[in-house]
Amino acid sequence: MKKTPLYEAHVKLGATIGEFGGWEMPLWYKTGQIAEHNSTREHAGLFDICHMGEFIVTGKDSFEYWNRLLTNKISRVEDGQAIYNFMLNEAGGVIDDCILYRYNAEKWMLVVNAGTQDGDYEWLKQQAFGDVKVENIGPETGKLDLQGPSAPKIIAEVAGKESIEEMKFFRFIPDFDLGGKKVILSRTGYTGEVGFEIYCDIDDTAEIWEMLLDKGAKYGIEPCGLGARDTLRLEAGLPLHGHEIRPDIPVVGTPWEFAIDRDHDFIGKDALEESEGDYFSYAVITEGRRKAGDHSKVILNGEEIGILTSEILAVSLEKKPAGYVRVEKELPEGTEIELLNEKGRSFKTVTAATPLVKGTSRKKMAIFLD
Amino acid sequence: MSYNIPEKLRFKDTHEWVEDLGNNTYRVGISDYASKHIGDVTFVELPELDSSVEAGDTECVVETVKSSEDIFFPVSGTITAVNEDLEDAPENVNDDCYGEGWLFEIKADDSKAFNELMSATEYAAFLEEQE
Repeated sequence: MKKTPLYEAHVKLGATIGEFGGWEMPLWYKTGQIAEHNSTREHAGLFDICHMGEFIVTGKDSFEYWNRLLTNKISRVEDGQAIYNFMLNEAGGVIDDCILYRYNAEKWMLVVNAGTQDGDYEWLKQQAFGDVKVENIGPETGKLDLQGPSAPKIIAEVAGKESIEEMKFFRFIPDFDLGGKKVILSRTGYTGEVGFEIYCDIDDTAEIWEMLLDKGAKYGIEPCGLGARDTLRLEAGLPLHGHEIRPDIPVVGTPWEFAIDRDHDFIGKDALEESEGDYFSYAVITEGRRKAGDHSKVILNGEEIGILTSEILAVSLEKKPAGYVRVEKELPEGTEIELLNEKGRSFKTVTAATPLVKGTSRKKMAIFLD
Repeated sequence: MSYNIPEKLRFKDTHEWVEDLGNNTYRVGISDYASKHIGDVTFVELPELDSSVEAGDTECVVETVKSSEDIFFPVSGTITAVNEDLEDAPENVNDDCYGEGWLFEIKADDSKAFNELMSATEYAAFLEEQE
């Protein structure tokens, strides 16, 4: 199993380590997942995300290349802007979900999930044509996510308020000076809160981690594990690859339709049109204090119509059980359905609009810096 | 990672601890290893008082933010006590797993099943294999 440069730091902080996508990662630290989750919603959380993959694509044909490979409207992206995308196979299934960063029309960075990055690299190389060069910079790139309403103040503490006060959601600064270290500072994240994804030289990761924890101490920063990352992203209405979105399921009828631009041709588009109406995905909130559990079936009027794809206790919603279902019937918001778990126990759940928790991610940067 | 493993307890391979209270009565909880690995406990579904239970069965669930963990009865017998304080303070299972975080007590017919459980030393070796 692979380890990030911060593995020893996590162990020293008392982290419980677990496996994720072939990596040994912190699940939570001593204070626990609930405290980490709340710290990110209220103050700031720092996450080791070095396990994710990064690719640089250059060349005159790269704009056409991305239009063919990705689902979102790449043509509306300016230099210094990022955009969330699905990368589909011919059957309309999701090879991966990813963020594309545009440096300029001939230089781009694609950021992908940990467990899928090797397959992604093969696919990216296989699909290359004309003047398109794909470079895997994952092994030499570190990634830290600093998220939460105090995140801007912590960056300002290190780099000055003026360096970020104009920064909008889904914009990035390629050569950002973070306390003497050159990083890519991106105003993106996976928590629903305002914050940054920071890409750095892998050898600088430990120093930047220490620096941010140190500067963030007075703002109540907590190191956060993958446990809090999962509860935060689910509440924020974001999917997890391998669960809500998968290579073997065409991505139709989801709350993430905003990532699919039907006005351009891309791999998998025809399959999506053919599969329209086959699947629908919804967030759900369950009664009581117990989760239904993995592999639960979704039942409507005695008929099995789908499965539960993720489930947590929603920490910011009074710890109510919440999750996502994928079903074969269109259900209005507020529809009561049943989750039937492997032990035959039934739970009442209700479809809900996403996001379940509306965070600060899109608010003006300036309000966090006063 | 190091774990607290009290000498006086015995352990099941599914990470329950068992304390001999005398008179074939046993108190049960989950080990430090288990409490660290399942994460924050939010709710405990306790077995029914006075019900008779079979070793290896489960009628007790520890619910965490991410998972639901079945607790397996380490011995057969009758449930003579359950820790009702966990209703309001489920976090005791994380904070004090060998003390305030106990789950239930069983009165067994004899001490045979208890004696077959792992000693603290055996459990420590078992955890080392797991890591």
